Amino acid sequence: MGFYIIKRLGLAAIIVVIAVSLLYGMIHAVPGDPLSIVLGPRATPEMRAELNERLGLDKPFIVQLVTFFFNVMRGDLGTDVFSERPVSEIFFSQLPFTIGLIFLAIGWSAAVGIPLGCYSAIRRNTWIDKLTGVFSVGTITIPSFVVALYSLLIFAVHLKWLPAIGAGNEGDLLDQFKHLILPSLAVGLGWVGYLARLVRASMLEVLGENHIRTARAFGLPERTIVLSYALRLAILPTVALLGVGIGYMLSGAVFAEIVFARPGVGKLIFDAVITRNYPVVMGSVIMTTILFVLSTTIADLISAFLDPRIRENL
Amino acid sequence: MPATNAAHRHTSIVRWVSIQRVSAVAVCLILLMAMPISPLLAETNILRIRNYSDILTLDPAFTKSKNEDIINECIQNKLISYKPGDEWGWQLMAAESMKQVDPTHIEFKLKPGIMFSNGFGEMTAEDVKYSFERIADPELKSPYAEDWSVLEMVEIKDKYTGVLVLKKPFAPIWMTSLSGISGTILSKKAMMSVGEKFTTTPPASSGPYIFKEWKPKQVTVVVRNPDWKGPKPDFDEIHFYPIDDEKTAEIGFEAGDIDFTRISISSLEQYQANPPKNATIVNKPSLYYSWMGINAENPMLKDARVRKAIQMATDIPSILEAAYFGQAKAATGIIPPGLLGHRAKTMVAPTADPEGAKKLLAEAGYPNGIDITLDCLNKSTIVTQAQVIQASLAEAGIRLKINVHESGQFWVLGSEKEMGEKVKDIQLITNRFSSQPDPYWYTMWFVTDQVGVWNWERFSNAEFDKLHTEAAVETDPAKRDAMYKRMQDLMEDAGCYRFITHESAPIIYRNTIVPAMSPEGIPLVRYFKKA
Repeated sequence: MGFYIIKRLGLAAIIVVIAVSLLYGMIHAVPGDPLSIVLGPRATPEMRAELNERLGLDKPFIVQLVTFFFNVMRGDLGTDVFSERPVSEIFFSQLPFTIGLIFLAIGWSAAVGIPLGCYSAIRRNTWIDKLTGVFSVGTITIPSFVVALYSLLIFAVHLKWLPAIGAGNEGDLLDQFKHLILPSLAVGLGWVGYLARLVRASMLEVLGENHIRTARAFGLPERTIVLSYALRLAILPTVALLGVGIGYMLSGAVFAEIVFARPGVGKLIFDAVITRNYPVVMGSVIMTTILFVLSTTIADLISAFLDPRIRENL
Repeated sequence: MPATNAAHRHTSIVRWVSIQRVSAVAVCLILLMAMPISPLLAETNILRIRNYSDILTLDPAFTKSKNEDIINECIQNKLISYKPGDEWGWQLMAAESMKQVDPTHIEFKLKPGIMFSNGFGEMTAEDVKYSFERIADPELKSPYAEDWSVLEMVEIKDKYTGVLVLKKPFAPIWMTSLSGISGTILSKKAMMSVGEKFTTTPPASSGPYIFKEWKPKQVTVVVRNPDWKGPKPDFDEIHFYPIDDEKTAEIGFEAGDIDFTRISISSLEQYQANPPKNATIVNKPSLYYSWMGINAENPMLKDARVRKAIQMATDIPSILEAAYFGQAKAATGIIPPGLLGHRAKTMVAPTADPEGAKKLLAEAGYPNGIDITLDCLNKSTIVTQAQVIQASLAEAGIRLKINVHESGQFWVLGSEKEMGEKVKDIQLITNRFSSQPDPYWYTMWFVTDQVGVWNWERFSNAEFDKLHTEAAVETDPAKRDAMYKRMQDLMEDAGCYRFITHESAPIIYRNTIVPAMSPEGIPLVRYFKKA
């Protein structure tokens, strides 16, 4: 297992370097003049030249890239061109909001989707299975922004049960939780369907395997067979999917952050791209990439822990 | 067996009790969360304002957006400020009196007793001198240096009195340099204590409210200043929420989370028909100006008759109906109503004349029409503008291809520095600028020096340039008015511009407050009252 972890982390590091290099190139290839956007129409040539030098845009691309990696290795993600605050400080001030949103969204969708998929597999081809199928496909197909808007109109505007915008008062956990309910509903609803369908398919496959038949022949209770024998194997693809899902949502939650006017990493990157705030874009992108790769690596390690066949295949 | 049964029963009871407890907690939580939140918030003495973006700096020398000026007006002072109401004008703020001694000398006297927070003492003429000369100093590289470029020096007469000495007369000084962001007075001592540099945390405040905290992308909070000697502000705290999406702001308002916000033009009609309970909707004229530019140096458009045919073929009422839902009026030039130099009407009628345009094209040697392109920004209103222009030009035989650009790409299209000779490839372009409430700042982008910088139509006219320079130093309002009107005539007559609209600024606010706004609907938050 130790060797497996080392190999997996090495692979993760290579992925981070390649992904960030590609993204760096793409960001610089986007047309547009960051200096005009940052300095505004009244900027003098001297002011433009100074900012150009400060951002390192006067140097060849490869020099900029190497300098960027060198600085990152020293823990320096750069400085925001507008506020002159360290990018790491800005990123980590936004990260808890996104992490909170993602975990609540994934948490509630897993809490509903996994049992739904299990139950559906056990009751295969019954009306409950069919109803679950319709519900799952329904949640997958409804766009998240539609869920966001309707949930806002119903629960915030008409019923006034929940707040519409913001992240809640600092230090007031209940208030912060209230502010998380609607965004996590919008972000997580689609995942309920995905997880239910995935777990159902895996469960059906596992329930047909020899060791399950053997367990039944030994007269073990059905609940023990489903929860202790079948689900442990059937959950593996779901664990991998959750790993990717968490990484995806790090920047994918941007729509929820805009619609609900919440702070977060997705919104931070979105605003920085619009304003061509290169240091914030790059610093946030590299951190997001690292977190993405980390979450998928952890998911892989959990899968390997649950299924020894996986760690032998790398 | 009986022992097993008893154990089983005990387990069942324990489980049942646990279920009951969990259910009770869940019900309490649901009830707690289901409590309507708005009444609770309404009882607090907090004013909640929506800003369209987060602050990046509160240093007036480096302000990036109007939002920062809005907050600065609460926590700092200027000698004079914009007067709330529907007419553009100024009123005294930190100054007890202001006197134009002669065209190049303005004497001011500060109100005594205006204190800076954090123990930085009373505001004096020295602070005024420091603040204005700091922005004017080329070493600082402030983008607002031009506001004070005519400032020779601030002469201090005594603790509260000083004289602004100008290098030459500068008419816009009252409505822009003094009333705008560049007129903000900072504490010299406080600035020295932070090395003359700060971003989002001012070292000292002097307004009726003082800065409390800034939570990035969440909220900026200002609180009542206990040392404020003027009329007591009505609110304990003001929270400024950065919400860039207008639809989100509208939902936030309806949900009771904010008290004052600008709304989208597309929602205005619906709100006017069905206003939310206890809310007021107003529609203010904005200082924006939107136009279609026609590149005078493009080979296809060098002939003025072709440019004029395009002007004539563009139907403005259709654009206003489709892109602005009929809620904005046609522009008569670049200078909006309410400002000096606003023209009563355009030279070319707003309604299209396709037959007249066809005739002009034929005279120019294009009896079968022309194929041209229009570049525009990827905002829905602007793309709709472009589509309507495409349809109306088609009626005159002008076949238009629309190129939609993302903002970073769009804002360099006419820049020679970035695009080189390609700037001459631009044919038509829709554009939208905003400005300060003085005509000087409207015409400055269209002088010959700005060709290839912000003058993307490459319009160049010696009379225009001369008038722009002269109008800046002319202190007679009637003469200035005539000069700016003439300048817009020259722009239109060159065939380089088709003026579209000044848009509008619809606003919604709760009836529990009495807002104060500039004529363009910018909230002057320090003057807000409770109803």
